[in-house]
Amino acid sequence: MEKFFREETEDSPEIIFDPEGGVFKISKISVPENALDFYKPVLDWIKQYAEEPNVQTQFDFDLEYVNTASSKQIIQIILLLQKVAEKGDVKVRWYYESIDEDMRTLGARYKKLVNVPFELVEIDE
Amino acid sequence: MAQESGQNLFEIAYPLFQRINDNDFEYVYRGYFDHSITKKILYLADTSIAKVTHQAQATLQKRIYYIMVEGLQNITHHQEEIANDKEFEEYPGIFAIQKNGDKYFISTGNIVANDKIDSLKSKLDVINSLSPEELKKFHREILSNGNISDKGGAGLGLIEMSRKSGNKLLYSFEHLNDQYTYFYLQTLIPTDSTYGDVNCNGKHSSLESVKELHQQMNTENILLYFNGFFNQENLLSLLAIIKSRMNMPLTTIKISNVMVEMLQNIIKHGIRTADSAGTSGVFFLGQKDNETILTSGNIIPNEAKQVITDRLEFVNGMSKDELSDYYDDILLDFDTADAKKTGLGFSDLRIKSDRPLKYEFQPINDKEQFYLLQTTVKNKKK
Repeated sequence: MEKFFREETEDSPEIIFDPEGGVFKISKISVPENALDFYKPVLDWIKQYAEEPNVQTQFDFDLEYVNTASSKQIIQIILLLQKVAEKGDVKVRWYYESIDEDMRTLGARYKKLVNVPFELVEIDE
Repeated sequence: MAQESGQNLFEIAYPLFQRINDNDFEYVYRGYFDHSITKKILYLADTSIAKVTHQAQATLQKRIYYIMVEGLQNITHHQEEIANDKEFEEYPGIFAIQKNGDKYFISTGNIVANDKIDSLKSKLDVINSLSPEELKKFHREILSNGNISDKGGAGLGLIEMSRKSGNKLLYSFEHLNDQYTYFYLQTLIPTDSTYGDVNCNGKHSSLESVKELHQQMNTENILLYFNGFFNQENLLSLLAIIKSRMNMPLTTIKISNVMVEMLQNIIKHGIRTADSAGTSGVFFLGQKDNETILTSGNIIPNEAKQVITDRLEFVNGMSKDELSDYYDDILLDFDTADAKKTGLGFSDLRIKSDRPLKYEFQPINDKEQFYLLQTTVKNKKK
């Protein structure tokens, strides 16, 4: 499957989906004006990946800021990862800075709502 | 007490909002100035100017930029002179940029030691007494004399501000105590290159009114005041300023999150300016009694009033636990994948706020309301 790559911008995250290299990562900042449009191709890609995923998928979120519009798109990504888990092993890692209780709360919320191995990883500054 | 100060903001917001026309703006930053903040203020101002100037006015944009740099450097120089002094904390500097029709106003304010006033005043008076030609000559003379003792000591920056603007420099000294005086400096830049016109039509941008605004900001301890059009670009600039300004990482994250939601709310739902530079609104960030108070104001159509009221009452009426459960529900409700319809934004604001969300509507005419929203975040030292 083709790689999916988005460079980070001032308001949107860096995205690397590289099945061959085994890298799936969304990082930096996600506060786009139109989260729906931004995440549409992302969701489409994962939908397709779910058809024939790797044996193991390690999916990393390492976000600094997330607006509510993005948080709604991110839950859709995680729900799609549940789909991926039907055909392969999936592990989600949610990174947050130790001082960032908002990001920890959001991660904990996702962990509670989805049925996929989900690890909260605290990073010290 | 914090409640009262928030209320004051509700009272001053609309009159301030009202005095700004479409495509005009005023931003004021009040606080400590360093390289990082200076850079971000410049970026915010410059991108906003670019939004409302034509390409043919590239020279104008450059001149304004130059004057802003000089003004900001002035503040940092004065600030350094009184380094390690608590006075600067008590009387922080301010930087204001205002666009009023076809004129820009750059104003700065900072404390200076009383014994520096005379020499500062005489420099300004000399500069103001010279014709453009004389000013040019004076500038060259100083440069060739190499008479630049300390930081811009010869007033080169001031000369350049006057030259670039094509105007006299307006200034004012306000006595503070037996050691310090507050020094205001204002430069007027006409968008056409008419020379020597110091009169300003718009009353609100006069030096007196900047001083008045400053007074209000002092009283409410406002660090950032933004009045004009909002768009994603300036939201990101404002965010960057706040990030540099705050020395409390934990609180900064929360404030940034809250700011994004509040401002994107304005951008999405407010009424756009005539040429779509953004959505008109006003925003204050202030600190009182160990709390950060974020206040936004924008115009909404009458019909939106009830919807907003219902949603705000709804989130205010719930306990944090109830709200958290509700948040989970709407996060998983994809009947409408559009976050703005679900009230995710308000729920998020309420969860992050340490007080119920405060709001008010002020009728403008039979179609529209001025809608004010206020979020309070407790400052956490960490």
